[in-house]
Amino acid sequence: MDPILLLEMVGAAIVAALLYTIIGVAPGTDETAVLAPVTLVLVLMGVEPVVVLTFFISAIVAKKLTDSVPVAVAGIPGGVMATPMVEHALILKRHGVPDLSIRKMASGSVIGTLVAIPTSLLLAHALIPVANVIKDYANPLFFVGAVALALMCKNRWLAIVSIIPFAVLIQGLRHLYWGLGIVPEDKTVFVSFFLGITIGPVILMLFELLNGEKRRTLKRYPNKTITLHKGKQKTGFPNPFTILSKRELGASAFSSLMGSFTFMMSPVGMTIFLGEMVASRIKDPVKKATMAISSMDALTNATYIAGTLIPLIALGIPLSPMAIGPANALFNAPPVFTVDHNMHDVLSSSDFIWASVIGALVALVITYFIIVKYAEQICAFIFKRIPHEALLGLFFSLVLLLAFMDAGWINIAGVFLIGIVAGQLHRWGVNYGVQFMVLYAAPWIISQLIGF
Amino acid sequence: MKEQPTSSDQTSNNIEVWEDLVSIKDLAIALFVSSFTTLTAFFLAPNGASQPLFYGLGGALIGFILSSLIIKPKRKFDKIESED
Repeated sequence: MDPILLLEMVGAAIVAALLYTIIGVAPGTDETAVLAPVTLVLVLMGVEPVVVLTFFISAIVAKKLTDSVPVAVAGIPGGVMATPMVEHALILKRHGVPDLSIRKMASGSVIGTLVAIPTSLLLAHALIPVANVIKDYANPLFFVGAVALALMCKNRWLAIVSIIPFAVLIQGLRHLYWGLGIVPEDKTVFVSFFLGITIGPVILMLFELLNGEKRRTLKRYPNKTITLHKGKQKTGFPNPFTILSKRELGASAFSSLMGSFTFMMSPVGMTIFLGEMVASRIKDPVKKATMAISSMDALTNATYIAGTLIPLIALGIPLSPMAIGPANALFNAPPVFTVDHNMHDVLSSSDFIWASVIGALVALVITYFIIVKYAEQICAFIFKRIPHEALLGLFFSLVLLLAFMDAGWINIAGVFLIGIVAGQLHRWGVNYGVQFMVLYAAPWIISQLIGF
Repeated sequence: MKEQPTSSDQTSNNIEVWEDLVSIKDLAIALFVSSFTTLTAFFLAPNGASQPLFYGLGGALIGFILSSLIIKPKRKFDKIESED
């Protein structure tokens, strides 16, 4: 590999690790919302694909390592995926050992990464022979995926029924733009719709705030009190293999392996299921909690990596919750990548290996070291300095920007419309997975409807 | 215009948006500041392949830093010294 490119990859991995160590701590940061736009921008800016992939892998490893930190320090999940761990982390906090949970979780993450990278690379290569068959059915598969994910939603019938209307909304806007001639016929507006879905809940809330009646009835809260635990400064380089007990090591490795094989399933669901399973037979509450959080963290890490790498290497179509959400820009970021021509086609096998290994190793070394040593300080800084309003403002302005770039001023209204509908669906329990699958399947769904 | 009844505890006027607390006024400020800096930077950018996007992002980042400086997070802290 070209040494300059290699240097760029290491540089990208370092930047990603530092950036997402900070972002991972901020509460309420949804994985898709923080990972997808940045990756998207890198792709659109024409950064070398192998560098983008290195950045992305480093980002997910760092993000996964850190989003468990606020759970341990303050009992607040740093992301959706960290939510199942809150309960166990609170037990450790009650027993006065919050720093133990950080070390156990972070070590679990390390195991997850170390197991998932080789497993995903091997699994992806094993899947390549069937890939062409799968690729031919990509469009109906997105539809099947939407239906399958809808069936797993809290409100499954509502989710099923909303698939076609949502597809009509998406295609309706696209045809409007084509009809008006603001978007050329060969360009499909995608990116801004994707972001509209992602921040749908926020857009819906913002519109509701304009409704005086609703605004006055909203529940008001005093400032949130956060209890920060101040532990002793640790010395020396932390070693994940000695922090975890043999049993925890085994369970973490097992969960990671399972997580890699079930890359098509919902990561949150798998985390709860497997994490509770491995911990269920332990009586001692502290041991049970450390077992649960270390293997849960290992598993979420593994599903993240496998969910990105396997579809990317083997298929080139985003057929996993991870690929269709946070990693979406690697598959589809027109005009650079499209479903037919994306990172899957551009990179060689050795590129994938180099990018994964460099990204993961850099993030592990930097982030693991930083958070095991400075968890309390980082949490305190972020909680004190970064207001939630500023994060919402950032997402909002990114959506405006990309909406305008996709199809001009009218598309800002279009993206608001998608956001309102997506936000309401989200509130009704139709999760992102279903909505993203519909976004992909919309052209096919509509063409099938006309065919009837 | 009708004013919101202000209680003696001024801080208990936050609402929950996306898993964390915000005040409506500060949220409006943040949305305005970020949108303004982002779009201004975007339109000021010289025409090139990726430059407007790059400028827009820079603007978004400036907006983020500005709003972080103007707005106070709606959190307060209890510190507990834990003895190992």
